[in-house]
Amino acid sequence: MRTALILLLLIAVASVAGSLLPQWPNSAQRVAQYRGDHPVWGSLFERAGLFDVFGSWWFVLLTTLLFVSLVACLVPRTRALWRALRTPPMQAREIDAFPSYAEVPIAAAPGAAIEVARRALRRHRYRVARDPSRPALAGEKGVAREIGSLVFHWAFILLLAGVIYGKGTGFSGLIAVVEGQTWVDAEANYDGTIRSGRFFDGFTGIGLHLREFGSDFLRSGQPMDFVSRVDLLDPSGSVIRSEDIRVNSPAKLEGLWIYQSSFGWAPVIEVVDRGEVVSSGPVVMDRDAAPDGVVEFAMPWRGIVKLPGAGEGGRDRAIELELWPDSRGLAALLEGGEPQAMLVAFDPLIRFTVWEGRLTDLATSRLDTTSLREVSSGIVGAGRTADLVDGRALAEGDRGSGSTISFPELRQYSVFLVSRDAGVSLVLAAAILILVGLLPALYSSRRKIWVRADPDGDGAVLRVGGLAMQRKPQFAEEFTRLVGDLASAAGERTPRQPEPDDREKARTP
Amino acid sequence: MTDLQWARISNDAFNVALFAYIAAMVGYFAFVAFKRDILWQVSRAIAAAGVAANLISIVARGVAAGRVPWGNMYEYSSLLALLVVVGALVVLEGVYRVRSLTGFALMFSVLTMAVAVSFLYVGPGPLVPALNSYWIKIHVQAAIWGSSLFALGGITTIAYLVIDRHERREARAARTSASPPPIMGGAIDLDADASRPPGAPGDLVPDPAEETEAAHGTRRLVPSAAGLDVLAYRIFALAFPIWTFAVIAGAIWAQEAWGRYWGWDPKETWSFITWVIFAGYLHARATNGWKGRRAAVIALAGFASLLVTYYAVNLWIVGLHSYAK
Repeated sequence: MRTALILLLLIAVASVAGSLLPQWPNSAQRVAQYRGDHPVWGSLFERAGLFDVFGSWWFVLLTTLLFVSLVACLVPRTRALWRALRTPPMQAREIDAFPSYAEVPIAAAPGAAIEVARRALRRHRYRVARDPSRPALAGEKGVAREIGSLVFHWAFILLLAGVIYGKGTGFSGLIAVVEGQTWVDAEANYDGTIRSGRFFDGFTGIGLHLREFGSDFLRSGQPMDFVSRVDLLDPSGSVIRSEDIRVNSPAKLEGLWIYQSSFGWAPVIEVVDRGEVVSSGPVVMDRDAAPDGVVEFAMPWRGIVKLPGAGEGGRDRAIELELWPDSRGLAALLEGGEPQAMLVAFDPLIRFTVWEGRLTDLATSRLDTTSLREVSSGIVGAGRTADLVDGRALAEGDRGSGSTISFPELRQYSVFLVSRDAGVSLVLAAAILILVGLLPALYSSRRKIWVRADPDGDGAVLRVGGLAMQRKPQFAEEFTRLVGDLASAAGERTPRQPEPDDREKARTP
Repeated sequence: MTDLQWARISNDAFNVALFAYIAAMVGYFAFVAFKRDILWQVSRAIAAAGVAANLISIVARGVAAGRVPWGNMYEYSSLLALLVVVGALVVLEGVYRVRSLTGFALMFSVLTMAVAVSFLYVGPGPLVPALNSYWIKIHVQAAIWGSSLFALGGITTIAYLVIDRHERREARAARTSASPPPIMGGAIDLDADASRPPGAPGDLVPDPAEETEAAHGTRRLVPSAAGLDVLAYRIFALAFPIWTFAVIAGAIWAQEAWGRYWGWDPKETWSFITWVIFAGYLHARATNGWKGRRAAVIALAGFASLLVTYYAVNLWIVGLHSYAK
């Protein structure tokens, strides 16, 4: 027990470190920031695994040792309990030596009196065994305490099994789905965000079609509701059912849990080069990080369209996009310098910058401009078209230079966390067992009673001894009641309360 | 009435409750100092009035916000303060006939409410989507009940350590001097410890409290150290399953809201640490040589961890519970 407690304490201490330092799995960004701010300590902590305490080898080692020591403790205890349950309560020779003791003269003969006492104790739910050699019996009660304790502790083994099974065969990943688009559960569609267990056995092919994303904010900017109206599709593409996914209300399908995670804007952008459409579709945008003191929804959204070989003379072209979903936000910033939260779309507009040169990669999340040259910039409003060469806004029907950018429609995208954890029900069962075991382990008490009937004149003297392992004052009261019960059942001759004096006398023959 | 009026009622009642608790606290301390029964009766009445005001404040807040009134730290603190005072009046005074600790319970509630109104106040408003779940009724309630019991247990444990120290000093003085020692309140039960049987070897469960007379119905002003020890154990033994349930309910909610039942978020981590420390306390009580003072120190560490779990995690550590400010 001591080893297990020390290990548990060490785990608690490690957890303190894990809660005070930023952790990779929770926030990689904050770890990077911490390492930037504290280069020396940062690399030291990194080496010690302190940025991923709960996944570090030494945390796993501590947990393993804890469970080994727990099992080593539980096995002999369980065996002892099993034996105790199958052996009758042990008889006592010296009944008057127990902390609680009473003598009652009764009318019944010894043998009959013991039988009466046996029934009375059974009524009080004592496990009773008669002494085969003389008119005496032993009873005990409160085995629930040890059973509860063992259930409580074994449940942690079940918990661990559930965690290992669930994490080992499960996974989680993030997906971004634009309104009107359909996503399919396949590895390639998680954009590299998958964290899967060692025994994860593949994807379901289930589809999710996002019909509409809606959000609701108070005037103060406090969010009220985020909802994704989706159709869930089977692998063949037919609709299984439609559902609204909200925060706190995930969709569950074939072991997949789909959660509302976040959302953003995805303007539909069409790029025409020399009269030919070279790119068309929604561009998923990320919001700029807000500086301190600025509400995050005041920041513009950014996206990049990369067009290899689409520029002058076969050069690569990239168009940087900066979306202001509510153009009043941009106006407020330009006029008063005062940031304003952009919670709904209102005359959205996009500022764009066109770059030409050589693209070093095709990732649309960032732009490396070292081999690029800015050629033009401009603004395009929703439903409008602008020229890519001089940045000028074009009127309806005006083709400009023939290389244009259009912004026909502003859509939203919804980010879902998709996860599978088949161990959840095991873990839940373990949690319930932990609670169920805890109650008797803490509140029930083990009590033992011994009764002997010695012949005395016409009847007998009933000698009753009692012992409680826990909750002694309550037992003293229970014992008095019990003796009264036995006495009246066996026909008491002269009522006698067990006095402290009697106990003293009985103890010192 | 409008929401604004309800909000005003809530704030006024909060202030009334706070001042009533302060007055009752002073009264209870005066009662312990001067041992006049009338002081106790008056203080108890003021504390009860404070409870009524506190309750009105909470209910009015719920009406003003149109939701359960425990959606942020201000509201949580108000409810915590209420439960600690009610616990002191009902459990300590009512069940165990201990009147000398209520002043300290009131002090805890006064501090909690003062911090809440000074630093944590926010107007009544709807819940953010992340909190908008029926689990807020289960998980947060269990957390508040567990916390209030841990607070009562912590107060009892501090009192135990103080009285125990006093008793030891008296006992030493008695050994060295021939004259009988002046015993405070005549409440020493030196046999309490000697009557404890050795715990069964390898027993993972605590041997629960060897209850003594002091915890069991005597109307002494200051209970004996042994009595306080037993009382603290009883309270912690009640708080621990509730806390366990709160953590489990939180995990179930996390599975519904965040897609995992456990992710070592700072709140999860610290509630686990608090749980581990009190589990250690319960085991220590079952181990010979760890009963009494050592176990009490563990319990105090648990109480400190609880305060970190509540205040530090929400206010200073970045995590998923940061919105609950």
